[in-house]
Amino acid sequence: MHESPMINVGGIDFDLSIIIALIVSCAVVFILVKLATRNLSVENPGKLQNFMEWVVEFVQGLISSTMDYKKGKPFLSLGLTLIMFIFVSNMLGLPFGLVFDYTSVEKATAFGQPLTSVVDGLAKGSHGVEVAWWKSPTADAGAAMGLALIVFILVHYLGMVRNTKSYFKHYFKPFFFFFPINLIEQFSKLLTHGMRLFGNIFAGEVLIAVLLKMSGVWYGAIASVVGLIVWQGFSIFVGSIQAFVFTILAMVYISQSLETEEDH
Amino acid sequence: MHFVWSSLVVTIIAFLILYWLLSRYAFGPLFSVMEKRRELVKQQMDEAALTRSQAAQYVEDQKAALQQARKDAQDIIEQSRQTSNRQAEQLITQAKEETTRLKEEAAREIESEKNKAVAALRSEIGAVSVQIASKVLEREVDAKAQDQLVDNYLKEVGIRQ
Repeated sequence: MHESPMINVGGIDFDLSIIIALIVSCAVVFILVKLATRNLSVENPGKLQNFMEWVVEFVQGLISSTMDYKKGKPFLSLGLTLIMFIFVSNMLGLPFGLVFDYTSVEKATAFGQPLTSVVDGLAKGSHGVEVAWWKSPTADAGAAMGLALIVFILVHYLGMVRNTKSYFKHYFKPFFFFFPINLIEQFSKLLTHGMRLFGNIFAGEVLIAVLLKMSGVWYGAIASVVGLIVWQGFSIFVGSIQAFVFTILAMVYISQSLETEEDH
Repeated sequence: MHFVWSSLVVTIIAFLILYWLLSRYAFGPLFSVMEKRRELVKQQMDEAALTRSQAAQYVEDQKAALQQARKDAQDIIEQSRQTSNRQAEQLITQAKEETTRLKEEAAREIESEKNKAVAALRSEIGAVSVQIASKVLEREVDAKAQDQLVDNYLKEVGIRQ
């Protein structure tokens, strides 16, 4: 597996490939949505506006399938941002990769900072360290968990503020001694929420990297191309499904935290 | 693969910025336009339904009017037929009356002519019978006189001839 381009700024390690990917994802989503909403028309909507309206209606469908739509309406923007951001992020690593092979410490710099992963790798005695600069941000556990954490914090904030009594009560349901189990459940929700996304996308990218490495010999190259065609197609499917799953789970958790009657 | 905490923080920041930007610049107008479009569609559908019901009403009205017109026409035809029938009957009756009247008049005239003729005849007969009677009486006076009377009479007849 390729190394990440790590730099150390002020004692904190930053993964540059994730930061680049995040910026690109945000920019793509924002530009796409901005283009779609540039010439809004009531009577004669353009193709992009129609597409955006389809996305909005899709997310509205997600929300109304998990909770009363009146309650869920404020989360429409959140759901839209989530599904578009995650979808674009998942797609980002698919079309190509940018892998650089660093053999000397002097060349391995970015923004004037040494790439610590390369420095460490060379110090361990490797001849060269391959660094992947381009990947899906959601193929990083930190990024995926960050998204899950946003939802987690929102869900618990909503539970505490909007639904205080039943929120605290539900930790002790059905019996008092279920408290540790309920607590674990909450954190396992956070973990599975983020890790499901990360695992799916990361696995996809690992297999793409493996298939790319096969192309050293001619029969390997043929197998690699065939495999990539199949696997990238499947990755598009997986990426869409994961964006959908992540968003609908976020909506399910929100609806659970907003439920006043704990009858499940 | 190791967990990079900075990625988590950067992701949260990036996502929140994206969320803020989208909510601020893109979603507001989009949602309001979608709401407007929904209202427009609803309004147009309402209008269409209204127009359709109006059209149905018009058709119904037209049908009723057509029915009425047909009925009126029928009535008028019926009426005129009756009128013409009555007129024809009237004419026939008039004609009949006229003929009867004429016939009666003619009969009356004939009657009166006949009466006149009878009266004339009767007066003639009276005169003739008086004459005959006087002639008969004259003869009875005497034979001679009677002969003379006959002679006279014959003479008279001869003269007349």
